[in-house]
Amino acid sequence: MKNKILISGNEALAEAAIQAGCKAYFGYPITPQNEIPEYMSRRMPEEGRVFIQAESELAAINMVLGASASGVRTMTTSSSPGISLMQEAVSYMAGDELPCVIANVARGGPGLGNIAGAQGDYFQSVKGGGHGDYNLIVIAPASVQEMADLTFTAFDMADKYRTPVIILADGYLGQMMEAAQIEKKAIQSIKKDWALTGAKGRKPNIINSMYLADDALEKHNQKLQEKFQKIKKELCLVEEISTTDADIIFVAYGTSARICKSVIINLRANKIKAGLIRPITLWPFPTETIKQAALHAGFFLTVEMSAGQMVEDVRLSVEGKAPVYFYGRMGGGVPEEEKIIELVEKLHRESK
Amino acid sequence: MPTLKELAKEQELLSGGHRLCAGCGASIAVRQVLLAAPKPLVVTSATGCLEVATTIFPYTAWEMPWMHSAFENAAATCSGIESAYESLKKQGRLPVDTKIYFITFGGDGGTYDIGLQSLSGAAERGHRMLYVCYNNQAYMNTGIQRSSATPKGGFTTTSPAGKVKPGKEQARKDLTEIMVAHNIPYVAQAVVGDWRDLTTKVQKALSKDGPSFINVLSPCRLGWGCAPEKTLQTGRIAVETCFWPLYEVDEGVHKLTYKPKEKKPIIEFLKLQDRFKHLLKAGNEALLAEIQEDIDKKWKKLLFLSGEKSE
Repeated sequence: MKNKILISGNEALAEAAIQAGCKAYFGYPITPQNEIPEYMSRRMPEEGRVFIQAESELAAINMVLGASASGVRTMTTSSSPGISLMQEAVSYMAGDELPCVIANVARGGPGLGNIAGAQGDYFQSVKGGGHGDYNLIVIAPASVQEMADLTFTAFDMADKYRTPVIILADGYLGQMMEAAQIEKKAIQSIKKDWALTGAKGRKPNIINSMYLADDALEKHNQKLQEKFQKIKKELCLVEEISTTDADIIFVAYGTSARICKSVIINLRANKIKAGLIRPITLWPFPTETIKQAALHAGFFLTVEMSAGQMVEDVRLSVEGKAPVYFYGRMGGGVPEEEKIIELVEKLHRESK
Repeated sequence: MPTLKELAKEQELLSGGHRLCAGCGASIAVRQVLLAAPKPLVVTSATGCLEVATTIFPYTAWEMPWMHSAFENAAATCSGIESAYESLKKQGRLPVDTKIYFITFGGDGGTYDIGLQSLSGAAERGHRMLYVCYNNQAYMNTGIQRSSATPKGGFTTTSPAGKVKPGKEQARKDLTEIMVAHNIPYVAQAVVGDWRDLTTKVQKALSKDGPSFINVLSPCRLGWGCAPEKTLQTGRIAVETCFWPLYEVDEGVHKLTYKPKEKKPIIEFLKLQDRFKHLLKAGNEALLAEIQEDIDKKWKKLLFLSGEKSE
């Protein structure tokens, strides 16, 4: 690949957002994602676009709501506690069917936690962090290159389905530097005839999530659910490594998946056939891929930097056809290769 | 009023060994506030340098009951604590004459911006507490991002000076006057660099039976790019240039607590700090003039409010 540059995950995501046509960025300082608003404060004015540092995360996400309703590509970024503060508006945007990209460079929790990378925000992202029945598209990068590439995907998916999209990264992915190529891609232009652009010469558009008349809210919810079903049918990104002949299948995303890749090489050198299913979209979840793998796998091992959140979705997908084990670290801890190998060898012996 | 010598004999309530920078204005402000305050004390802090660097678990530098919850809610948390003490008194579980003093510390990010709502609520409800803003004019804890206290022209990592923009474009928010508008018993501006002025104000504030607010300008060596051994001088020159006038509003009455004999030009303050370096380059004369004009205008207004003769 030519034109590769050495860049941090946070900056790669920021530059990709600019290349993807993000017209307005709204942010608020929180570690470990400060490089994103800092980068945007330099680059957006150069491009003649909008950078605003809000007075709180609450303000930032509501600025995103306003910009999105006006029909422009818009984004905010934060880290776990800041994302928690945004949840009211995220629920509103899901109800309003407003597209936007929200990047969560997640850190250890709960509460103030720490500033190390973590994956404890899976439930919040995938199961709906705010109130009401809704889902968000959730995309999980695992490298600096993907921090860039999946940002393009996120903007396209947000516009295509009129829904907020979460990029669920973590502090390690945000801070690490790798060689990456950020291409200028052709922007998929989607006509936003629903946007509030001034009703001169047309009927007024209404963006709303409040329905008080009898059955009206249920009907609106049915419409939303149909959309979520459509997304489930059409969108699923997953990476599979050496799964066809694998006795042991790891399921891991983001930083954890990188560690599992290395574990697989080591295990295979010791004649243990291991493979990896890496969900890239966490919602929709690659249920079918896991279900198929469960037909021949000896057992599954889910590895996360959490107390065990995604493992619940893995179990739902496996439907009891194979044992599902879990290994995790919490509060910014990183799973170690040696510990995982030790556990796998033990489980492997016991399963024989 | 105790002398500096007498104050120095008191027990330090922010103990050494914390991890704030050498020359940090915030730690000086906090130590002086705590020395001057009547006891016993309960302290609340908002998220920020002060909170992070003084309470790295399992250590704490605070020699009294101390609480932190999040970034936007220090004043709300303190309201809850103060109400709980009042309730305990009403229930007869604390003697009715128990007098405990409540102080909240927040940086300008946690006070001017994200915490303004909870501060305003606490002031309006009338909780008996002193809120001290250690104001270093940017989000220093997360890497020097702009805040609404950052002065016009100031460089921060989210208001960079370059070809397109000259640093922060907006004027700083006048939080002191916003607090005055709450009609609370006592509001003041103080500075790290005039200990007697600050400690007197703390004692006045805590003698009130209601909310009080002190906005303390606290030089930050990293964020301002000033010499760590010149923290106090940098604070004092902010006063001498009328960038940061020392005054109080006691029961609604404005009063200057210090009046410079001769008001110095703002450039004397700006030139001590890297965050304004770009303003001193050729081509920025108009912006410099504008900054001076803003300060002159505010000073004139403050003289009028304080019943002083206009210069």
